[in-house]
Amino acid sequence: MLKPSGVMIWIALLPAAAAAQSGPSTDWTGYYMMARGKDLAGLNVIGSNLGTTVAEHLQPWAKLKRESIDGAVDDNGFICKPAGFLRAYGSPFDTNGYFVLGRERLTIIYWPTDTVLFRRIFFNAEHPRNLKPSWNGHSIGHWEGDTLVVDTIGFNDRTWLEGLGAPHTEDTHLTERMRQIQHNGNTYIEVVAQVEDARALTSPYTFSRYYKKQNFEMEDYVCNDAVDFYKEWRKEAIEHKKAAATK
Amino acid sequence: MPRTLALSTVLAALSIASQLFGQAQSVASLGATPDLTGVYESIPGGTKLPGGFRNSGSPTEIQLTPSAREKMRTVNLKDDPWKQCKPVGQFRMMARDNTVMEILPAGSLIFIIFEDFTHGFMRKLYFNRGHEQRSMVASDPAIPVTKLIWFGDSIAHWEKDTLVIDAVDFNDRTWLNDSGAQHSEALHTVERIRPIRGGQFLEYKMTAEDPQALAKPYTYVRYFKKIDRELEDDNCIEEQ
Repeated sequence: MLKPSGVMIWIALLPAAAAAQSGPSTDWTGYYMMARGKDLAGLNVIGSNLGTTVAEHLQPWAKLKRESIDGAVDDNGFICKPAGFLRAYGSPFDTNGYFVLGRERLTIIYWPTDTVLFRRIFFNAEHPRNLKPSWNGHSIGHWEGDTLVVDTIGFNDRTWLEGLGAPHTEDTHLTERMRQIQHNGNTYIEVVAQVEDARALTSPYTFSRYYKKQNFEMEDYVCNDAVDFYKEWRKEAIEHKKAAATK
Repeated sequence: MPRTLALSTVLAALSIASQLFGQAQSVASLGATPDLTGVYESIPGGTKLPGGFRNSGSPTEIQLTPSAREKMRTVNLKDDPWKQCKPVGQFRMMARDNTVMEILPAGSLIFIIFEDFTHGFMRKLYFNRGHEQRSMVASDPAIPVTKLIWFGDSIAHWEKDTLVIDAVDFNDRTWLNDSGAQHSEALHTVERIRPIRGGQFLEYKMTAEDPQALAKPYTYVRYFKKIDRELEDDNCIEEQ
């Protein structure tokens, strides 16, 4: 029998050390849907009603702006324009996503894709200087064991913090801790997030969300397919608003 | 153990490990299919690549059936899906100059995501299943899954270094070219994608058949260059 030598021990240790630095021990790749109802039993959901959570932390100007929002008139997502993932954390139907875990990045392809778009979380990277604000900002991440710690800045100020129009500024800073867990025989991604924005919030707020891995395919859905219907609806809403203002 | 001996043992271990890993990698790559991961941009027509590769064919050259010709004559060009910021389908999208796309393998499927997202949207190429095994489960009960979709149901497999994609179940809402040539729900496309020149370029061959719209199957070829950047936000509908 071959006795283990110092060389063999080194060889055995090297891949383990590399794996510890490169990411989790399980593969995250797959289609996940935001967990709801019974799927949340026993999970630590923080801030389940994101609208209420956010409203408690808004500065006065942001509260006023939120109150003046007319969903049918002002909601970008309503007419299939990009709306970003930040607000989608408040809706159980808007943050389904296909997670693709690679060596250098985690890509999340959200569903519906044409409004929530994509996200790339770059590992071992820094935020670029002179970042151009965008719908989903710029995300970098590093692994702490099996947990991916994500830092996102560079949001434009056209997204909302939740579905009812809570505004934010380009100073928004999102920190997320993501990990894959097993619960009641199912696989979930747990996201614990904190949002800071010194110009829009009185203090940071925290929430958690769970995404349950599915065994079916992410279907094709083109929001713009029905955009004519939505546009007509919005046109009527704007006309109704104008008529009400002139009375 | 003397320090020099300990160091030499470590270096030897690293060297052997490096050789082992290197060997494992090269063995894997010998039998493996190509890794197409990356961002690519289509080469403009008329460009001749090293090795003599150049684009050939065009959606403008398709031959239509009499009924499809008649339909094209009466079409209103204002209804062009391109002008309405709607998906234009792969037959038209892949033929365009400077189409930028990301190829992203994701386990049992490959995503193709287009930078001009509104027109190209994204494709999902499924391995390990047939068309008849397509999932029809809705993510949102309010939005039913439809059998006929903008990009068809795309099934992929490898033939040596070539990715072969077979797509059926298209809706009939995309056009085959800028002139308003339309297709039917019987459209069937076969695409063959292979890396050339060490993966710097992709050769893309598209063949479309549709007995109701095309007098005969049509094939065009395009070349894509691998580019070193991320996809940017480019959303037609946002500009409306």
